[in-house]
Amino acid sequence: MPRRFTLAFAIALVATACAAPQGTPSTTASTAASATAQPITRGGTAIVAIWQEPTQLGAPYGNQTVLGLVIQGTVEGLADTTTDGKYVPTLATRIPDVANGGVVIKGDKMDVTWQLQKGIKWSDGDPLTSADIKYTWELWLKDPKVNTRTGFDQIESIDLPDDVTAVLHYKSIYAPYPLNFSSILPKHLLEKEADVTKTDYVRRPLGTGPFKITEFKTGESITLEKNPNYRGAPEKPYLDKIIFKSVPSSQVALAQLQAGEVSAMWNLTEAQTPDVEKTAGLSLQVVPGPTVERIEMNTAANKEFTDPNSVHPVLGDIAVRKALLYATPKQQLVDKLLFGKAKPGASPVSQGWAAYREPQEGYDPAKANSALDAAGWVKGSDGIRSKGGVRASLTYTTTTGDQLRERVQQVLVDEWKAVGIEVKIQNQPSAVFLAGSCAAKDPRKLGAYDLDMYASTPSIDPHTTMLRYHSRRIPTQADCAGENYTRFKNPAADTAIDAAGSTLDLEKRKTSYATALKALNDAYVIIWLYDRANIDARVNALQGWEPNVWRRFTWNMESWWMKK
Amino acid sequence: MGRYIVRRLLQAVPLLLVISVAAFAIVKAQPGGPLAQYEGNPDFTEADRLRLEHAFGLDQPLPLQYISWLTSFIRLDWGYSFSSHQPVLAMIGDRLPNTLYLMGTVFVVVILIAIPIGVLTAVKQYSWFDHIVTGTIFTFLSTPTFWLGLLLIIVFGLQLRWLPLGGIQTVGAPFDLGDRLKHLILPVATIALVQMGGHVRYLRASMLETIGQDYMRTARAKGLTERNVILRHALKNAAIPLVTIIALDMPELFVGALVTEQIFGWPGMGRLFWDAATRSDYPVLQGILAVSASLIVIANLLADVTYGWLDPRIRYS
Repeated sequence: MPRRFTLAFAIALVATACAAPQGTPSTTASTAASATAQPITRGGTAIVAIWQEPTQLGAPYGNQTVLGLVIQGTVEGLADTTTDGKYVPTLATRIPDVANGGVVIKGDKMDVTWQLQKGIKWSDGDPLTSADIKYTWELWLKDPKVNTRTGFDQIESIDLPDDVTAVLHYKSIYAPYPLNFSSILPKHLLEKEADVTKTDYVRRPLGTGPFKITEFKTGESITLEKNPNYRGAPEKPYLDKIIFKSVPSSQVALAQLQAGEVSAMWNLTEAQTPDVEKTAGLSLQVVPGPTVERIEMNTAANKEFTDPNSVHPVLGDIAVRKALLYATPKQQLVDKLLFGKAKPGASPVSQGWAAYREPQEGYDPAKANSALDAAGWVKGSDGIRSKGGVRASLTYTTTTGDQLRERVQQVLVDEWKAVGIEVKIQNQPSAVFLAGSCAAKDPRKLGAYDLDMYASTPSIDPHTTMLRYHSRRIPTQADCAGENYTRFKNPAADTAIDAAGSTLDLEKRKTSYATALKALNDAYVIIWLYDRANIDARVNALQGWEPNVWRRFTWNMESWWMKK
Repeated sequence: MGRYIVRRLLQAVPLLLVISVAAFAIVKAQPGGPLAQYEGNPDFTEADRLRLEHAFGLDQPLPLQYISWLTSFIRLDWGYSFSSHQPVLAMIGDRLPNTLYLMGTVFVVVILIAIPIGVLTAVKQYSWFDHIVTGTIFTFLSTPTFWLGLLLIIVFGLQLRWLPLGGIQTVGAPFDLGDRLKHLILPVATIALVQMGGHVRYLRASMLETIGQDYMRTARAKGLTERNVILRHALKNAAIPLVTIIALDMPELFVGALVTEQIFGWPGMGRLFWDAATRSDYPVLQGILAVSASLIVIANLLADVTYGWLDPRIRYS
C-alpha cells in the first residue's frame, strides 16, 4: 500500500482541525441499515471515492485490494463466501463436496465437478459455458504475467462432458478448491489474443455480474452501468450507475464525502471515524476483518541468514518472551489508538470456520517482573535487566512513516522499559521491511531482527497462513521461501498442520489447526496485537449495504439503492 | 548562430546519456521493486516471483537492462508499464493534455500578473504598494505548495463550498466549460501564487538596475513620455533575466506539478510520475525522466538563444 507520508499527515492535521461538526452526532456504527422496511427506489447513480486506483482491471494481472473492490460487481466466479465463512455458489448450482458427490477422492488426488447454472450470459449476450472455466485455467497457466498460479498449478486436466459441466482433475488434495475459480474469463472474447494484457480487457473486463464496466479514465473515474443481460435483471441491480472516483488520499475522500461530492468512500483509518460519527447524514460500516497485526520475536540469533538452530541471547529465553506479552496493554492500544474499532488479537486466524479465539494472557506488568526475576534477569542501576553479562536490549522494527504503528511503538517501548527490557526502534521503509525476499534484504526473511511488527490477512482457507508456523517454512540462505520468521519449531505443530493439509474434513482441519495454534501461543513467540476492522462510510441516503467479513463492501452492489 | 545551435545540440547528446544512466541507476536503486506489491498475498510463491521477474526482464543483469531500454527508447518503443500494462507512450499521451492545460494556464496567469507587478514595484520603489506587494509575495514564495493547496481546499472547498475539492471535472457529468474552469481555479492559484514571487522579484531587481542607467535619463531628456520610457526602454532591457526564468519554466509544462496534481487529484503527468514512483513502475519512470531531461536541455538552449535576440551585444562563440 503506498503511503503518502508528509502529505497525508499534513492533510490529516489540517482536515481534522477544520472539519467542524455540522450537526448533532446522530450516526453510529450501523451495519445492516437496510433491514428497515422502506420502499426501494430504483435508478440513480452512486459515486464511491477510492483513494487508491486500480492500475488495470484484469483479475489475473493484479494484486490490489481495490481491484477486487471495483470488479466484483462485474467479474464473477464459481463460488463466493458469506460473512460467516461459508462457501456459496455464484455461477455454479452448488458447492461440490464429498457428501454431494461433487468431489471424489482418488488416493492422493481428487476430481471436482462443477455445474454451471443454465442460461447465464456474459454482458455482451454470449452464453457462459463450461469452456470458459477451462479457458480460465489455461490462461492462468500459459500467460507469464499472471499474479499467482497457486491452485491452478494443482490441476492436471479439465474435462467438459457438456456445456454446463466441468470436471477438474486435481493432482493433489487441494482444500481451497471452492474459491480457486473466483474470476471466470470469457473464452469467446480472449482466446485468439496473444497477450491479454495488451487488449482492452484489462481496462474494461467483460463479466457476468450485475454491472458492466463502460469507462475507465485513469486518474479520474471508473464507470459501471447496469448489465441488461444480468441473470437477476430486470429486478436487480437497483442503481443505474456506480462510479468509482479516484481521489489522492483517504483524507481527501473523507472531505469529499463530507462535502457531498461523493456518496460513499472506501477504507477509513480508525482515526478518521470520529469525523464521520459527528457529521450528520453519514454512516460508518465497521466490519471485523481477517487482518491481524502482530509482533514477532526472533528466537534465533539476530544476523543475516541466521542459523535456525542458533539461540537468540535474549529472546531465546521464554521468560523474556512471556514478560514482553504480559507488559503489552492490548486493550489500551485498541481503546486509545484505534478508537475502539479493533479487537485485541488472539491468533492469526481470527475469522471464519477455522477461527481460533483462545485469548493470550492479559496485561499484567507485575507478572512480567516476577517472570524475569525468577529467570535470573537482574535489574541494573539504569533499570534495565541483564543476565550473565547479556543486557536485555532489543531492536523493534516496523514500517517507517506509519503513524499508527509509530504510536503503538512509543507506548510499548515505555511499557517494556518499565519491566526492565530496553527496546530501540529501528524502522525500515515498507519496501524493504515487507519486501518478502532475501534479495531485497527483508530482515524477517534474513533473520536479522529482534522484534518485528506487521499485519497479514489470511484467506478463508487458512492453510497458507498456518504454514507460516511449520518448521519446514523457516527461510534460510539455501531456501528463502517460507514465512516462519520467528524460527518456531514444534514437531506437534508440524504434524497437526500437515494433517490438516491432507484432508477435506473441515471439523478435523479445524481441530488440527487449533492444536498447532495452541502450541504456537504456548511458545510465546508472537504477540497478537489486534484484529483490524474494515471501515467504510456512506451517506445515509445510500441504502442496502450489508457487512461481509470476507469481501469488501461492494460485494452486494446489485442491492444498493439511493433514497430520493 | 546556426553553428552555435548545432554545436550545443551535439554537446547535449553525451550529457543526456549521462543523465539517462543516472536516472536509470536512481530508479533501480529504490528499495522494493515492482513485485513488492505481492508481499502479503499468502498465495504468491517464490515460483511466481521468478516467473514475473523473467516476464518483466528483471532477471537480466543491470547493464543489459539499461542497453535494451536505451535502444528501444531511441526507436520510440518505450515499453509497457509493469502495473497497467499499457504502452508508456500512450500513458504519457493520455496525461499530457491535462498537464499542458493546467501548467499552460499557470504560465499565462503568472506572466500576466508578474510583469505589471514587477514593473510597478520597481517604478514605485519603497511606496506602500511596493511594501505590501513585496511582503505578500515573500509570504507566498516561502509557503510550501502542499500546505497552500490544502488551505485553499479547506477554505474555498470545504468551508465556503464555492469550488470543488479536486479533479479536472465533475465525475459522471457531461462536458461543461464552466465546470472545467471551476476545477481549474484552485490548482492554478496554488501553483501561480508560489511561482509568481520569483518572477516579480527578478523583474523588480532588474528594472531597478535599468532605471538607474544613463540612457534612461537621455530618453527622458528627449521628451519621451514616462510610460514610453518605462515600457519601451526600461522593460525591454530589464526582461532578459525574466526570459531565462520563463524559458527554464518550459519543461514544467510537460512534467507537471508533482505535489499540486497529487493534492487536487489532477490526472496529469505529475501524478503519473508519483504513482509510477510508488509502484516502482520502471518503464514509466524512465520514460518521463528521459523526456524531462531532454526538455530541460532544450529549454536552456532556448533561453540562451532568446538572450541574443533581446540583446544583440551578446555574442556566441
